Amino acid sequence: MFTTGFKFFFGLGMALAGAAVFYGYTTGGNHMGPLSMGWKGGIGEHLGYSLLLGLGVTAITVALFLVFFRDADPAAQAHYMGVEEIPTNSLVTASFWPVVGAFGVGAMAIGLVLHTAVFVTGLVVCGVVAIEWLMDSWADRATGDPEANRVLRNRVMAPIEIPALGAAMVALGVLATSRILLATSKLGSVVVAGVVSVLILCIAVLFVSKRRINRNILAGLVLVTAVAVLAGGVVATVTGERDFHHHEVDDEHDGADSVEGH
Amino acid sequence: MTMTDSPPVAETALAAASPRVVGLFDALTTTDHKRIGRLWLRSGVLALLAATIVGVVLTVENSNSSADDLFGGVNNYFQYFSAYRFGLVLLVVAPLFVGLATVVVPMQVGATNIAFPRAAHGAVWLFMIGAGITVVSVVAGGGWGALDGVSSGERDAIALTLVGTALVIVSLLAASICIATTVVSLRTAGMNLLRVPLFAWSMLVATSVWLLTLPIALGNLALIYFDLRGGPGEYGVAEGSSDIYTQLGWLVEQPQVYAFAIPVLGVLGQIAPVVARRRHAQHTAAVILIGLFGLLSVGGWSQPAFQGANYDEKFIFIVFGLFAVLPVLGSIGAATDTIAKRSDDGDGAGISGLLSVYSLGAIGAGLLLLAGTVAGLARVIQPWDLGGRTTTTAVMNLVLYGAVVAAIAGIWFWAPKISGRHLPVMMGRLVLFDLVAGAVLLGAADFVSGFLEAPAFGYQVAGSTAPLMAVPSDQNLIEVMNVVAAVGAVLIVLGVLGVVAALAKAARSDESVEDNPYGGQTLEWTTSSPPSSGNFSEPPERVVSEAPLLDTVSENGEEA
Repeated sequence: MFTTGFKFFFGLGMALAGAAVFYGYTTGGNHMGPLSMGWKGGIGEHLGYSLLLGLGVTAITVALFLVFFRDADPAAQAHYMGVEEIPTNSLVTASFWPVVGAFGVGAMAIGLVLHTAVFVTGLVVCGVVAIEWLMDSWADRATGDPEANRVLRNRVMAPIEIPALGAAMVALGVLATSRILLATSKLGSVVVAGVVSVLILCIAVLFVSKRRINRNILAGLVLVTAVAVLAGGVVATVTGERDFHHHEVDDEHDGADSVEGH
Repeated sequence: MTMTDSPPVAETALAAASPRVVGLFDALTTTDHKRIGRLWLRSGVLALLAATIVGVVLTVENSNSSADDLFGGVNNYFQYFSAYRFGLVLLVVAPLFVGLATVVVPMQVGATNIAFPRAAHGAVWLFMIGAGITVVSVVAGGGWGALDGVSSGERDAIALTLVGTALVIVSLLAASICIATTVVSLRTAGMNLLRVPLFAWSMLVATSVWLLTLPIALGNLALIYFDLRGGPGEYGVAEGSSDIYTQLGWLVEQPQVYAFAIPVLGVLGQIAPVVARRRHAQHTAAVILIGLFGLLSVGGWSQPAFQGANYDEKFIFIVFGLFAVLPVLGSIGAATDTIAKRSDDGDGAGISGLLSVYSLGAIGAGLLLLAGTVAGLARVIQPWDLGGRTTTTAVMNLVLYGAVVAAIAGIWFWAPKISGRHLPVMMGRLVLFDLVAGAVLLGAADFVSGFLEAPAFGYQVAGSTAPLMAVPSDQNLIEVMNVVAAVGAVLIVLGVLGVVAALAKAARSDESVEDNPYGGQTLEWTTSSPPSSGNFSEPPERVVSEAPLLDTVSENGEEA
């Protein structure tokens, strides 16, 4: 379960964290300061405390990396695969998820500054990536046969992925496009809607007419479309909706209600 | 967890040669360390071009004694001044070395791939996203502080710069974990740490120092971010202040700036024995010296924002500055000793090796780093009082351009393994000569100006509320030095353009390359050019020394 590398780094991390707490209390730390990183009370001598705690957190992070991904421990890999010696060629299959994860983290960072919705979207993407990543890591080591691993992984994940991905794409597309439509002028929204419809039609025709599409073209289409829709949605969200002119009757009615209410 | 009762027997034969054509799909999904490394290298070269162009504009502005204002105000100047510095460290030097290491280090230690290849792939994309956010936000009025105060839009742009910088640092940390773990965990049989090739060892030391120190920069960024977004306003962004830059400035100043140049010693130690066509004369000493240089480059503690304006008068700061010269000098001495004992065999190959692009580059990089650490030594001598002057800029430029030259020499050296092609030789010599000359002019001019009391931040605009430095003692000579620096910066841009042209020319070449064209002594030279997807056609034999290929030759009786 736990590799030698994990045990070493985790033990080192805990020892350093303990040393930081000890150092904090012995150099003037008080109350819960050294235990709460200064949240409740003083931590003592700042430099040494920060250094020890920083080292400890770094070691624990490395330990978690080792146990989480496991692909840097040949002995553990061989044990899990039930073989004497691991294959010398690369076992880690190609995957979109690191790139998706990077975009998720990027969305979180941008959302932190610009809009909560973008941050939450990034957070959800990162959660999905974490699950997919774990499943890929498990499948890569399920047996010694890459093809069997791929089939196994798809058998478990495809029934979840395809509907979830489809729903997410529709929801994101609708949400982002609606933001764009609300932010642009009346005429602009008609143009945007027209262009989006034509694009969907063209891509659909391309899919139907070609038996095999070059994967680079496919990847490019997906990337450009995703970036365009998301960037447009983000910009439109930040810009805000255009001014809508309401009917005067409604305004008067609202006003009357308001007066009556008082 | 095994899902079959009797798992298939593992294949020990390796994969077929990797396809040369790499498309967008591969760039988005690859887990091959060589492709990931190439993404890092391309990003680094692109950022290098951008940073050096900004550097030219900055030096031209500094040397401009008329009232013309190239930047349109002190705020803009300050943004690009700080963007140049942080960009050179985080967007240029670090990714160049990470890219080189991602390609080369796994092969050097006999591994089939980098550790955590998916994390390595995610890291390079995160880097590109973070770098993109940083650059766009700086252009939009952000940056690392504002001297004349900000509007609310610019405040958001500054916040975006901070999160962009944080993403870049996180990506470098993730890549560092992958590289360090590869060296620690994936070494082939018999390769103990003293037998690890010097470049791989230098990357282990460098990434370890980055892992220790860059999280501190993340902490700084978090502190600044929360202050900016509703905190007490300690950094004074609203009314105008350079405090954000001051808080993060330790990243581009000694001793931390040395941490980004640790691999220079590795490149030098790796190339010297190949040039000499013999074992490294002082391999163990070189290992120790690289480790020592790493120790003396840990700089997270050296923060003027926390330690006060007189932080550079503290004993430990002075000790670090004084002693950092020694490992660099020692490493150059060890390389020189190795080259001096070269075996020529009467065929002139030793001389041609000495004049090779990678050899000239490695020597130039070593000397630039030495000059940088010597300038750093001068910087800590208290009676000279060089803190806050252009001497600090000289240290940064000499050290970082030394690192750039080393990275480019490494790209030329390992080009058969990076891309399966040779890079043009004559063009390479010109480029490296040009880069070294430019860096020397740039560094020397700033070093001299420092003694004339020229401030590191030398921009003055009439009517600006920005804090201004004292007027230097000899303005005329400083202006001459600024012109010299501008010439150096222009030379550097020309050199970088030459690098881009050489890479483009090589990309069109279909010339086949030998597996070991230079007589390399480490395991990467046993792979094909370009290497197959699993690197080795068969698992490497047990390693018994730091130069396994010389051992093989000795056993065959062809060469002692």
